[in-house]
Amino acid sequence: MSEVREVARKLLTDGTVRVIVGWEDARRGARPVFVTDPADTERLIFDTRCVHNLVTYLNPRRDNVAELGKIGLVVKGCDAKAVAGLLREAQLTRDDVVLIGVRCGGVLEEAELPKAASLSPENVAPRCYGCDNREPELVDHLLGESQPEPPRPVMTIDERVAALDAQPLEERWAFWTEQFSKCVRCYACRQVCPLCVCERCVAEKSRPQWIEAPPHPRGNLSWNITRALHLAGRCVDCGECERFCPVGIPLSLVNRKLQHIVAERYGYTVSDDPESPAPIGDYRLDDKQEFIK
Amino acid sequence: MSRIGVFICHCGENIGRTVDCEAVTEALKDHPGVAFTEDYKYMCSDPGQQLVKKAIEDNDLTGVVVAACSPHMHEKTFRRACDQAGLNKYMCEMANIREHCSWIHEDRGEATEKAVDITRTIVEKVKHNQPLESIHIPVTKRALVIGGGIAGIQAALDIADGGHEVVLVEKEASIGGHMSQLSETFPTLDCSQCILTPRMVEAYQHPNIKLHTWSEVEKVDGYIGNFTVKIRKKARSVNEDLCNGCGDCQEACPAKRIPSEFEAGLGNRTAIYVPFPQAVPNIPVLDRQNCTLFKGRRKGLAKDACGKCKEACLKDAIDYDAEDTFIEEEIGAIVVATGFQLYSIGREQPEGLKGYGEYGYGEVPDVIDGLQFERLASASGPTAGAILRPSDGKEPKTVVFVHCVGSRDSEKGISYCSKICCMYNAKHAMLYKHKVHDGRAVAFYMDIRAAGKGYDEFSRRAIEEDGAEYIRGRVSRIFRDGDVVKVWGYDTLSQEQVVIDADMVVLATAMRPQDGVRELAQKLSVSTDEHGFINEAHPKLRPVETNTAGVFVAGACQAPRDIPDAVAMASATGAKVLSLFSADELEREPAVAIVNENTCIGCMNCAKVCAYGAIEQREICTVDGHVCGHVAYVNPGVCQGCGTCQAVCLSKSVELQTFTDEQIFSEINALCYWE
Repeated sequence: MSEVREVARKLLTDGTVRVIVGWEDARRGARPVFVTDPADTERLIFDTRCVHNLVTYLNPRRDNVAELGKIGLVVKGCDAKAVAGLLREAQLTRDDVVLIGVRCGGVLEEAELPKAASLSPENVAPRCYGCDNREPELVDHLLGESQPEPPRPVMTIDERVAALDAQPLEERWAFWTEQFSKCVRCYACRQVCPLCVCERCVAEKSRPQWIEAPPHPRGNLSWNITRALHLAGRCVDCGECERFCPVGIPLSLVNRKLQHIVAERYGYTVSDDPESPAPIGDYRLDDKQEFIK
Repeated sequence: MSRIGVFICHCGENIGRTVDCEAVTEALKDHPGVAFTEDYKYMCSDPGQQLVKKAIEDNDLTGVVVAACSPHMHEKTFRRACDQAGLNKYMCEMANIREHCSWIHEDRGEATEKAVDITRTIVEKVKHNQPLESIHIPVTKRALVIGGGIAGIQAALDIADGGHEVVLVEKEASIGGHMSQLSETFPTLDCSQCILTPRMVEAYQHPNIKLHTWSEVEKVDGYIGNFTVKIRKKARSVNEDLCNGCGDCQEACPAKRIPSEFEAGLGNRTAIYVPFPQAVPNIPVLDRQNCTLFKGRRKGLAKDACGKCKEACLKDAIDYDAEDTFIEEEIGAIVVATGFQLYSIGREQPEGLKGYGEYGYGEVPDVIDGLQFERLASASGPTAGAILRPSDGKEPKTVVFVHCVGSRDSEKGISYCSKICCMYNAKHAMLYKHKVHDGRAVAFYMDIRAAGKGYDEFSRRAIEEDGAEYIRGRVSRIFRDGDVVKVWGYDTLSQEQVVIDADMVVLATAMRPQDGVRELAQKLSVSTDEHGFINEAHPKLRPVETNTAGVFVAGACQAPRDIPDAVAMASATGAKVLSLFSADELEREPAVAIVNENTCIGCMNCAKVCAYGAIEQREICTVDGHVCGHVAYVNPGVCQGCGTCQAVCLSKSVELQTFTDEQIFSEINALCYWE
């Protein structure tokens, strides 16, 4: 990935940015790295293990990252959508960040592998299948060669959503009750999400306490439904919430279902165009209002 | 600790019939925080209000819950009573056990239980109420009237005569509306033009009225007393200041065979035209759709294909390159008077309407609608007042009038009565008989609805003095048979089939709201009913107000109206507007959104969805004055308390005073807790 290193070195050397956030090869596989010294740019990599959405470091409330100075960020297409999300919601201005985009042919489900593997239906991250933004447009530099489409996973997310939808209501309810009962309320899903940027999360609001704090089924249900709804029309499908969930709740199914609903109700698909108004921040004369009787 | 008084109203029989009010009183007596309970037959009456006041003083109450009707009805009443008793009026809330309970349930036991639940939720809410102060806002004493028909003209004149400026916006080239098309008016048969045109001129020349014809309302921002209205002045292509109305351009225009809207398609006009000779203002517009020059430009011709009107104009008033312009007006109150259109007799029907294929979809040329008949009968019409049928210009000897075409026919999409048709059909029959003495006028009717001063006498006169034949029954089919129009009908009184060989048929088609009224209603944040008529705030007690404060409604855009009704409504809106303008400041409820700056992340989604433009971005600084971020700020004078911002705020940083999260949460909890 010499191109990424070259651009990073140039940006650091001429002082355009103070830190490059990208990926490096470490003992346990690929991991995020913060490069401030031009000499260290040699550590930067980009391969199929680079699954992390580094946009989470652009959260304006992560003071320790902001303190490093202007950021140069390496982004895949899905990550670029998250940057657009932050721009859309005024959490960032475009001048705050230099985006180094990489052409992406999909990533692995797992980052912690000693070396990059080529993608197969068994190891590809299911969300990559059918990706509509493999060459991000929002970026300042678009690097790498054109990549082939990611392989079709053994079972696509849409197929899994459809299978769930086909179940009767009681079974679906039982499925999700079971899944959410596993939640330990560690909030890893929230912490890793590039778009969960609230100063004080609604889960921590106590007057009134909409979401009960202890990890019992009722509070878990409130939390997981609230998290999903707060990301309706905003989720970029980077899959980080599900990847970080220590108890394996299939959050991508919830996220994908909501994407379908948002597309159907508002004709909206999340893109990396910050000018396209997300449904939650949009008021139109032709908004559907058949629910008002 | 809260000391709440709970007052349960029987509302005569309205609540007491279905809800056991004593049982509700009993159930609330020991509810935590309740210090006083009482039920009374009419709580809103003077003794009822005295009871509330006395209880506040005697028991040192900190909050009041009145379990009675909708807050729309009497919240103000009881808040005023609390204020008089020295309790902050925003510590008083209504528990709606009438509209939400007694009126919609039958089982007394269940209704009583529900009434207890409703009252408990409001008691729990009031525990979290805070004393609040009303908001005072200034009033711009200028009115906007949308629509220049008789209703709009009347409203504008009344307000202008009251000493306030009025901006009158009309989408057509002239004011006057449908009334200017009518021949004579029921029940006195006075000439429509003779009574209307002086009003039109008066409105035009009134020093307080600013008239914008060929204009439409583009955007409305703000709120009662403080609207900002953007008006689109459509490109007229004629300079209004230069034009002297000589009419030379019309003479010169080569496109002379365009169906005239004013003549309801029975006459022609030119491409540059004044809709009718008495138009106000007497300034033509250029219809670019039909103009030879613009047709050529659309085709991309290098050279303009015409230019005759510009050559003919001695004032050099014609400007082919004119574009739509926009003006902004500061307005305090708005009157909507957009009027009606007729149910189409053509094949093209708007969504939800089926049309009358059995009447030939208007494909038989001698089947016309009521407005077309008005033009035939009008002295200024295409036939100079002679009743001549459109197909061959012959005088029809048998004319059939069909009532209720579209109206009162839910199968065809319209369930309501259009109100004016019985009267104008009688008038048409009469006018016809006055002009064609040997003619036969036959009317098919469902019922004759002639309620109004002198109305029944008028329709009787058509039958008894002028000899119109009235057949009670419907027409099943109308078709052309050689020279005649066959009308197949059924006489329900004699129970016989009726076949009439008519020379002409007049369909009394339904009144419908104007196209675009839904879009206008959205711009004004007022609601429309399923037919698209604008909803009044209360069908009996607030008939000319809408649910948006400062927006009033007059005439046929609210429901089918005849001229006297429309004028009365218009004058009523005039009175409403003048009373609004009588004070320099308005008092508003403090039901406005408040941003918690500590948790707001400044995503500004609230600002994007605010329909009132009440939210702006505000920078926040550290103690040493260093800008460290931005948050949302709600302007309390502009906020209408709709709560949309609260709904989209992911960080729950916006709260609506009087509907805070804690209040709503307590209400929900009250329902879950005492099961």
